[in-house]
Amino acid sequence: MAVATPPAAAAPQPRKAAGGAFSWSVPLFLGPAALLLLGFLIVPTIYSLFLSFNRGRGGEFSNWVGFDNWVRLFTQDPDFLRLGFPPSGALWNNILWIVFYVSLTVFLGLLIAVMATRVRYEAAIKAIVFVPQAIAATSLAIIWRFVYSPDDETGLLNAVLGIGNVGPLSLLGNPDTVNWALIAVGIWGSVGFATVILSAAIKGISTEVLEASRVDGATETQIFWRIIVPMVSLPISVVAVTLVVGVIKLFDLIFVMTDGGPGTASRVIAFNMYQEAFPQGQFGYGATIAIVMLLLLVPIMIFNIRRFRATAVQQ
Amino acid sequence: MTKFRLIAPFAVLTLVLAACGPGDGGADASAPDDGGADASAPAADVPAGDGSIVVTSLWGGTEETAFVAVLDAFTASSGIEATYEPNRTDYATVLRTRIQGGNPPDVAIIPGIGTLRSLARDGSLISISELGINQADIEGNYAPGILDVGVVDGELYGIMVKLNSKATIFYSPERFDEMGVAPATTWDELLALTEDIKAAGSTPWALGAGDSWTLTDWFEIVYLKMHGTEAYDTLFSPEGDWTDPTVQAAIDTMLEILTEENVDGGIDGSLATLFVDAIAKVFSTSPSAELYYGGGFVGGIATGQDVNPALQGQEGTAIDWFPFPTIDGSGEGLVTYGGDVMAALVADSDVAEFMAYLTTAEAGQVWAEGGTIISPIVAVDTSVYPTTLIQAEAEQVTSAEAVRFDGSDLLPGTDLGAVLQAAVRGDDVTSLLEEFQAETSAAWASE
Repeated sequence: MAVATPPAAAAPQPRKAAGGAFSWSVPLFLGPAALLLLGFLIVPTIYSLFLSFNRGRGGEFSNWVGFDNWVRLFTQDPDFLRLGFPPSGALWNNILWIVFYVSLTVFLGLLIAVMATRVRYEAAIKAIVFVPQAIAATSLAIIWRFVYSPDDETGLLNAVLGIGNVGPLSLLGNPDTVNWALIAVGIWGSVGFATVILSAAIKGISTEVLEASRVDGATETQIFWRIIVPMVSLPISVVAVTLVVGVIKLFDLIFVMTDGGPGTASRVIAFNMYQEAFPQGQFGYGATIAIVMLLLLVPIMIFNIRRFRATAVQQ
Repeated sequence: MTKFRLIAPFAVLTLVLAACGPGDGGADASAPDDGGADASAPAADVPAGDGSIVVTSLWGGTEETAFVAVLDAFTASSGIEATYEPNRTDYATVLRTRIQGGNPPDVAIIPGIGTLRSLARDGSLISISELGINQADIEGNYAPGILDVGVVDGELYGIMVKLNSKATIFYSPERFDEMGVAPATTWDELLALTEDIKAAGSTPWALGAGDSWTLTDWFEIVYLKMHGTEAYDTLFSPEGDWTDPTVQAAIDTMLEILTEENVDGGIDGSLATLFVDAIAKVFSTSPSAELYYGGGFVGGIATGQDVNPALQGQEGTAIDWFPFPTIDGSGEGLVTYGGDVMAALVADSDVAEFMAYLTTAEAGQVWAEGGTIISPIVAVDTSVYPTTLIQAEAEQVTSAEAVRFDGSDLLPGTDLGAVLQAAVRGDDVTSLLEEFQAETSAAWASE
């Protein structure tokens, strides 16, 4: 899984030279970074926003279509969102990913981090659990595609099931199971990240608190849920936010493992954006999806910044 | 006030961008670097080329070798260097990105008529008349209707360069003899053949449903045979109605054969199998199925290095095909075919000469000798095809009562294969077809 860098700290306030006069050092220092930000972030965002109101032939502003792309995206595109019971579509798949992938990765990461503190070979465990993070997402996808292969001479999963005489399963070929199979791969790839960060956070809990609670007769489960989890809640939210941002951007795993298939069952919104903009050439429509991705990130960023401000105030 | 000071420059920037935003048309998006013929005037004089052209396609392996032979023949006769650049994966994406980046190839295979229409309307393609070639002049080189597939909004952009019949069912005559069965000519006979093969202890069909276009091929040939050419043409046009009962009827007929017991690996297994692996199930050294429905290109793949090169020379004994049967007595002589069109993206004299060369019998013959394609050029004699399988395929196409281009390649980018995959899995497709109808008519409208 590509790991998004945690959000950067707030930019330093511009300083005035002694006496309050304008100092040229300010724009000189901020200038290059501001230009890069402008050129690679602000301008493309505004371009995409305007392109989403356009037909976008060849990536140019060819015909103004107003909100047509937006209406079509949310009401006439079952690949993106199909309301019903159960709902389906790329947006729904992202929601599944956010709910299950993030919560399970954080939970498993925390569990492994806590249990690893009890054993002597803790460093070895963390190193092993972290190895999948070192694998490029594409390689991860190819490895697991082979593992899931329905042919029990190629697929590890079906070879193992074959020992117990369970028939060959085609997890990636069945739209009911494909998303869960992909989420499992995502969890496998990201647990190491959660474990390492949460392990560092747990080390920050003072041992006196833990000893005192044990003396008071708390069980390990109670210690886990009532002491450890609340005390590392900030690192948990950092990990969770990073994972959620990763889910919204998720593309490479889906593209390589199933190409959105079978049919369109495992598509995610970034895949739709790529598919509409590039192979189909509907750049305006693809830009619309890109803006939707941006809008989905806004509440997460607000939550994150508030979190940081709150802790900054506490300190 | 400080906040306003920060926002103001961005507000100005937004206004500036809005002002210079909506341009008129992307007509200049593909302005070639070498000279610039006025793309809107049907001028016969295109600027001189620089003596070399670049042609791209997604072919590799034996298909590439056969095409490069055509390029070499062109270079020999014209002196213009022609380089082939393959893009095996993500072909449409790479092509569009190159066009957008101002670096288009001179000539490109267009994968699908929906893409042809889209690129033509983007202004990225040079029409054949702009290159100085008159459609009426070359019309006679082709069977009727073949060139019309490449026409967009009344202008010819794509010339059909190769095609394959999609009305062929491949099998092994040796194994048929062993099992005591024979090819079928009607749908009922085909069902009986399926049962006979099961009785003989083998699995009848191999299906590569992981490549969903294999299912669209099934659907198209069944639909054409059942409902005829007019219904077929209407269905794959903006007036098509996918909720019409004829569509469900064709799907139901398909599913009479594509069942859990008839398909090697079961339905789930076939949905995870790609088409080359499915061909291998019938023709590899350890086969597990007896019948594979696909295009005429199956023969080349089955005898190629990907599957079983030992079959080369065994055409007629170890590998052969029989025509897709009639259904309920209708569909005799109706053939679906798949083909590729080639279009020009740059207007200069070298490109014009190359496109004209592709319409000649010489080019068709050189390509046909490669053994991977059937040439749409009528003047190519069927005896030049290297194997009996391909000769028979060429004769099937030329002597067909009517040929119809692969419908799913005509659609504006909506995915019929996904609907058919759901149907094959046993899902109720009524609501899926309604959605597909809504999606497809929206896509036709927004093209």
